[in-house]
Amino acid sequence: MANAVVENDKEQELKKLHKMRLIRSLLPIVGLILVFLLFNFLTNGRIIKHLPLALSTVYVTMIASMGVFFIMTMGGLDFSQGSILGLSAIVCCTLSHYSIPLAICGGILTGAAIGAINGYFYVNRKIKSFIVTICTMFLFRGLIKFLTTNSPVAGSAELLEIDSTAFKVTCTVVVVGIGFVCFSYTKFGTYLKAIGAGEKAAMFAGISTDRMKFWVYVLSGAITGFAAFISAIKVGSVTSSGGNQLETQILIALVLGGMPISGGAMARFYNVIVGSLLYVILSSGLTMIGFTTQMMQLIQGVVFLVFVAIFADRKAIHVIK
Amino acid sequence: MDEVRLQVSHMIKNFGITKALKDVSFNINKGEVHALIGENGSGKSTLTNMLCGIYPIDSGTFTLDGVEIHPKNQVDANNHGVSIIVQELGTLSGLTVAENIFLGHEERFITAGFRNTNAMNAEANRLLKEYGFDRIKASSLVDDYNFEDRKLIEIVKATYFKPKIVVIDETTTALSQEGREELYKHMDRIRAEGNTVIFISHDLPEVLAKSDTITVLRDGEYITTVKSADITEDDLKKLMVGREVTGNYYRADYGEEVSQEVVLKVKNVTVPGKIEDVSFELHKGEILGFGGLSESGMHEVGKAIFGASYGRQGQVELADGTQINDIQTAIRHSIAYTSKDRDNESVVINQSIGDNIALPSLSHLTYGKSMFLDWSKVRTFADKFAKEMSVKMVNTEQFVSELSGGNKQKVVLARWIGRGSDIVVLDSPTRGIDIKVKQDIYQLMDRMRKEGKSIIMISEELMELIGMCDRIIILKDGKLNGEISRSQEVNENSLISMMV
Repeated sequence: MANAVVENDKEQELKKLHKMRLIRSLLPIVGLILVFLLFNFLTNGRIIKHLPLALSTVYVTMIASMGVFFIMTMGGLDFSQGSILGLSAIVCCTLSHYSIPLAICGGILTGAAIGAINGYFYVNRKIKSFIVTICTMFLFRGLIKFLTTNSPVAGSAELLEIDSTAFKVTCTVVVVGIGFVCFSYTKFGTYLKAIGAGEKAAMFAGISTDRMKFWVYVLSGAITGFAAFISAIKVGSVTSSGGNQLETQILIALVLGGMPISGGAMARFYNVIVGSLLYVILSSGLTMIGFTTQMMQLIQGVVFLVFVAIFADRKAIHVIK
Repeated sequence: MDEVRLQVSHMIKNFGITKALKDVSFNINKGEVHALIGENGSGKSTLTNMLCGIYPIDSGTFTLDGVEIHPKNQVDANNHGVSIIVQELGTLSGLTVAENIFLGHEERFITAGFRNTNAMNAEANRLLKEYGFDRIKASSLVDDYNFEDRKLIEIVKATYFKPKIVVIDETTTALSQEGREELYKHMDRIRAEGNTVIFISHDLPEVLAKSDTITVLRDGEYITTVKSADITEDDLKKLMVGREVTGNYYRADYGEEVSQEVVLKVKNVTVPGKIEDVSFELHKGEILGFGGLSESGMHEVGKAIFGASYGRQGQVELADGTQINDIQTAIRHSIAYTSKDRDNESVVINQSIGDNIALPSLSHLTYGKSMFLDWSKVRTFADKFAKEMSVKMVNTEQFVSELSGGNKQKVVLARWIGRGSDIVVLDSPTRGIDIKVKQDIYQLMDRMRKEGKSIIMISEELMELIGMCDRIIILKDGKLNGEISRSQEVNENSLISMMV
């Protein structure tokens, strides 16, 4: 009798737990559908009609978000993504006059190098990741401005010829696909989550936390370096504002996608995909309705704040490293 | 006729779906040490935390000297005459001793908006002297003092204003013998002044010796209140667990030969500032104990073996000559370690039970020899070892943060048993854990020993060292200071004489 009551209690507990998790995981997807329908209605279906155009910025955002997603899962932050993208794109454009494969490698290596600088100061000098990456953001933004003082850095004609929706979709699917498999089906993902959920305990369970943290910053830089190539073939040149504010766009995208801002075990890979789609539809929808850039920044800021306020796990927020 | 100091009536507290307290009512008298005992998760700390304004009250009332109180926070509770000494560190780093003592009560030193630091320090020094803690200086930062001294500072902080009720929550487990004596002295003083101590402890002999009255809670329910003089330890255990505790608590065997086969050699290991020139050998199937005062460096021995110490010198060598210098090598060669600091260093607190158990074994839970994880294998693995350790949980998806201390420890043990570790280093394995789980852990250790695994047990509880170990090594000031073999003649005093 008493046992039956306990069993019943347990079962209900279990159901409630599952329900809560389901709601939490469905929310961003429902949000995506709602936002999509809403903007189609507001723009009289123009988003559907011009879907390739509406999605033209999603490739760079999604690829770069993936790297930051890895960093945030292990409890770090990265504000230097915009500068990484800008500088990698400059290298990519410059090298494209010699050879396209060289340009791709150059972009990726530049990104990885900046990631290594971030990782070095974060891991070896033990400075909080947001401080380090804000510093590198300023530093490399300065370098980008210096390199583009006289004129934008232009890529070769071949570089622009590569640009096609099919090519960009393929690249994005491949990169994100690899990322998904590594995160969900190798120990990489579980290790990242463990570091985010309790770094010291993760270390005592046998994870080389320092090495892992360093290489994830390098990896994230390299991924954004590749995103810089996608960005370069689309635009063809880099101005002093190349990649500007990418870091905030990524942050907003991930939070919209349901990513817990302090990382840890609740991070899910779909956060990257749903989040970047949501962000891009939101911003292109607002543009199509006729909001100015200044107005959009304001709206994005408000949306970001509201989402963080609703979804932040206040118990874990102090662990952001 | 005893005068009632605190009336607890119909106290209820829920955390989400967990019912922590189910309609608890009882009285606490003036001038007594009132112990509150029960297994982990029985609601002791929940109750006292509500009394001290740390948790809000769901429903029910506290009546202190005839007046209903609803403390909003700890300072508010202090003003009502209630204070608490907590299990973990309760002092704030970066503040001076005096600032800690008068935290939240600085107004008496403030004139015209300025704080008179000199007056505050003078007052703190006077109090410290009165308590007999002359070596602690009011103007130094608390960071300059060790865990033990910081606890003494907390005693002053919690009792200087002569509160009507002082809650002492599991404080003694963190203290050495000397520190405990100091604490007992002040408990007696508080009682003599006609005030009340609410004493929470898992150490039943201590509870029986130091308290006047004992209230037992079980699963959030009030069971009974008894006079300490009228009850035995076994009866208390029965009341706490709700059934007879049978079988042997510790190992029963004496005089068994330990294998001569050496599995681990520790040679001249030094960790600067912690341990100095420590050498010993661990045999197959042996339980080797380490004892000492909490600052003796014994906890560092465990870390050093596991490759987790900073700046370690000397050698840790396996039977086949493998050198252990980092955690990864240690785990690969079948060494396991559970830290004293369970929440930070043992379990990944905000992750599922399943992930916690599988973490060091993930490389073996893949499709064939590939790098891709087979999630059904991971789940089966976690379920199997969680069941084997009988972890009390909903399922392995549940987060470790929702478990009690004893069950967290079981998760850590399940992890290492699953990994198949042969050399197991357990630092304070039963710290803050109730009798039932303690007994489970002792039985597990005995089983592992018989299976030929070697165990190093570091503990501040002398009784469990004496009860479980084949050999006990005592550390003092970071150096080896004696060794005792298993025998029925060993008692606490023979160990203490080597410790201090």
